[in-house]
Amino acid sequence: MSSGKLIFRFEELGQEHNNLVGKKCANLGEMVRMGLPVPPGFAISIAVYRKFAAETGWAEETSHYVSSLGELKGQNVAIFDELSQNIQSTIEDKEVPEDIKRMVGSYYEELCNKVVIPNVAVSVRSSGTESRPGMFETYLNVIGIEDVVDKIRKVWGSAYTSRAIAFRVNKDIPIVGDELGVAVSKMVNARSAGIAFTVNPVTGDTSKIIIDANWGLGEGVVSGAENVDRFVVDKEAFAILDTYVGKKAKQVITRKRGAYWDDVPLEKQSIPCMSNDEIVAVAKLAMLLEERLGEPQDIEWAIDPESTPPNNVFVLQTRPAKVAAKKPESVTDRMIDLIAKRFYSP
Amino acid sequence: MSEKKQQKVKIWDGTPGYDFIKEIDLAEMPSWFHDGTHSIPPVTTMFGYQWARFCSHGLKFACTELSIPTCKGWEIRILNSGIYCALHVVRDQKEIAEREVKFRQALRPWIEDFDSLWAGYKQELLSIYIKLLELDVDNATNLQLYYHNYDLMRAYMRMWEIHFMAMYSSFNTWLLLETMTKERFGISDQDPEFQDMMRGFNNKVYQMDKKMWEFGQLAIEMNLEDVFKKNKPQSILAKLQQSEKGKEWFKKFMDYMKTDDVGGWRMRRFTDLNEPYWLEDPATPIGLVKDNIIRGISYDLEATRAEIAKKREAAIAAFLSRAPQEEKDLFEGLIRLSGKASSYSEEHDLYCELFVHALMRRGYLAMGRRLAEKGAIDTPDDIFMLNPDEIDRVIMVPESHDMRWITRRRKAAWKEAHKNPNSPVITNRASIEEAVRLDLLPSGDAIALKIIVGEMPQPKPELKADLWGICGCSGEAEGTARVVIMYDDLKKVQPGDILVCPNTNPTWTPVFGLVGGVITDAGGTLCHAAIIGREYGVPTIVNTQQGTSKIKTGQRVRMDAANGAIYILE
Repeated sequence: MSSGKLIFRFEELGQEHNNLVGKKCANLGEMVRMGLPVPPGFAISIAVYRKFAAETGWAEETSHYVSSLGELKGQNVAIFDELSQNIQSTIEDKEVPEDIKRMVGSYYEELCNKVVIPNVAVSVRSSGTESRPGMFETYLNVIGIEDVVDKIRKVWGSAYTSRAIAFRVNKDIPIVGDELGVAVSKMVNARSAGIAFTVNPVTGDTSKIIIDANWGLGEGVVSGAENVDRFVVDKEAFAILDTYVGKKAKQVITRKRGAYWDDVPLEKQSIPCMSNDEIVAVAKLAMLLEERLGEPQDIEWAIDPESTPPNNVFVLQTRPAKVAAKKPESVTDRMIDLIAKRFYSP
Repeated sequence: MSEKKQQKVKIWDGTPGYDFIKEIDLAEMPSWFHDGTHSIPPVTTMFGYQWARFCSHGLKFACTELSIPTCKGWEIRILNSGIYCALHVVRDQKEIAEREVKFRQALRPWIEDFDSLWAGYKQELLSIYIKLLELDVDNATNLQLYYHNYDLMRAYMRMWEIHFMAMYSSFNTWLLLETMTKERFGISDQDPEFQDMMRGFNNKVYQMDKKMWEFGQLAIEMNLEDVFKKNKPQSILAKLQQSEKGKEWFKKFMDYMKTDDVGGWRMRRFTDLNEPYWLEDPATPIGLVKDNIIRGISYDLEATRAEIAKKREAAIAAFLSRAPQEEKDLFEGLIRLSGKASSYSEEHDLYCELFVHALMRRGYLAMGRRLAEKGAIDTPDDIFMLNPDEIDRVIMVPESHDMRWITRRRKAAWKEAHKNPNSPVITNRASIEEAVRLDLLPSGDAIALKIIVGEMPQPKPELKADLWGICGCSGEAEGTARVVIMYDDLKKVQPGDILVCPNTNPTWTPVFGLVGGVITDAGGTLCHAAIIGREYGVPTIVNTQQGTSKIKTGQRVRMDAANGAIYILE
């Protein structure tokens, strides 16, 4: 890779670029190489973040502030909220340098031209060198260069969400850390979306693919708050072994800008949000990823209503699946736990 | 003189020590909920006192022992012969979290093996009862009766402790299953799909029902059919004594009443002491035998129950096929345990309330006879207008006391209470809804939610019904309304009638074999009427609040139980 290059199209990347652009971007590049349906987009390298942090003085300011706090481990969680607020508010004051703006602008324009949509809507996601699901922020349905630049800055700042700070403190990682790359992808305005596991994350069973799905964007599944559809597919024959249709009362959809929770129309709440063909298509994509990447995967996918089957299923990201190491609980344990949590927890 | 005395006890009467006093009780607890399930019709002084004191103890005991995180038990007071409850809600988050740690440990044995625990406690109760029966109350000395008063209270206290340990632990699983089926499948415990999974369990109640049916068959075999068919229960007893066959049948019948572990120690009325138990007045169970004979052999309880049990297994299998693979075990476990909640809810009455109340009636009536003989009260059953402390004061030397100024006044007040319904909630919150939201729901109390107060009806305006309740057992029925407030009026119920009542209790169970539908004023999905409605397959709507006041006997009514809708057709 030529030195000095700071932003990359996904197709220029592969797994070997982890340290350059972060895991998510590197994986997206790898998938493009594999010929998988990935929404087009570009990666802001970690070097861009460093340039921003150095030139605006934010890096120095932050490390100065943090070192003034002393030892944080074992302290009340309220301190992380305070810390997070203070650090994230200072980044809002830092103007993104013009040359960075120009660079991002030219790649964004290139993307708009490629998909033939002026001011195309994109998603702006964090891409650290370590996989830390749920730690950092993601921005959906971002429109226009001004907003894209603003959201990139916000993603950088999200290295200092209180959960990310607490995680680093508890793992003895320096507080000033998690320099982030950013993935900017064309937004898939999904009809249905969700996740697919090529291993059962609870039992560790590797013979089946588990798909969780909801209407609207994948965030309606990932947050774990909603009752969603679940399909279990056999890895050998791609037979659908189990279909569970959840009562899907809420979904995440895009509005003019951004994405929001909304009610699912009554008539769609209790019907499956994807066809059997689509289930099998997602399962096949998931299997392909597991085979090519050599280990069980945790995949985010979306069905694009603007594309025609069978080419309407897109992979938004993939990462190695984490299997809970817990020993299987007895039914009694689960009942007691549910009763205590459901009815009697503060 | 008499008037002066009245003034002295003014603030301390009805149920001394447990009278609801607004200035004191409302200041301590902001909302008091009327327990219509247990105090319509109004309760006597003796019963109200014992209930307020020991039922509330049992609740506090179980909430402490099980460390229920959000509730420390209930306070109970009596107002206008009605029972009012207030819940000790735990509101401090830290305290809830601390209680939860112990709760998890205390709940475990019940989840692991409910049946053995309940069997053990049943034995403990029966052994307490046998000891109480050792006293020959008619020939006991005054001192023995003095002690018996305390033995009865001790037995009552222990009964309530056991009662609520088993009830809290089993109802929690029902509540969890309902919550999960609602979330995952949109099925609540008012839906037939749910209720079909909870029916057709064998327990002592049905074993005794079956026994009454068998005694009917025996009477037919012994050519006594006409004696039962042509006479009223009271005269059947006399008629049976006139023939050898009749005597033989009656002896067999009474042997069962005396030797079965529950047998005739069963109150006719569920929550009071002022009506006889079966052994005291065999006309009550004889009436059941008569009903079975009239229905003839085509009425086969066994077959109905086997059918319902078969349907249950099919319903469970169908439900489990919809559950996600990794949760099948969990759902199956929950369904089995919830079935126990339903079954326990019915069976425990026989070993708990109905039995111990019969023993209390036996003991206190003996004390009443002692007091009445010496003129301290007017009649033996005026003893139910006194409380145990007052009996303690006078039972040793009854001839020196006159308690009639108290019993007469309380009796008059109690009779008056029958005319004045009690308001459903006494609260200093802004509204009933707020009282429910702030002082009931946060308790997480399964018993309050599912039996005593129940969920509120949700009218569906498009159905244009006249009255709304919640579904106890789904189905449709149309028939003549029969409003029944007291057990005595149950005999007026005709086959196919729609029974309209404040609530039902285990002594009313047999009438479910006769009626076309049941509508109650009070109760939730685990109240007696709902459970028995499901067991007998009778459309049942509970918690209508105003069924007995809106519907008149003789009117034609139609029920659409699944929707909780009631139509008054004329």
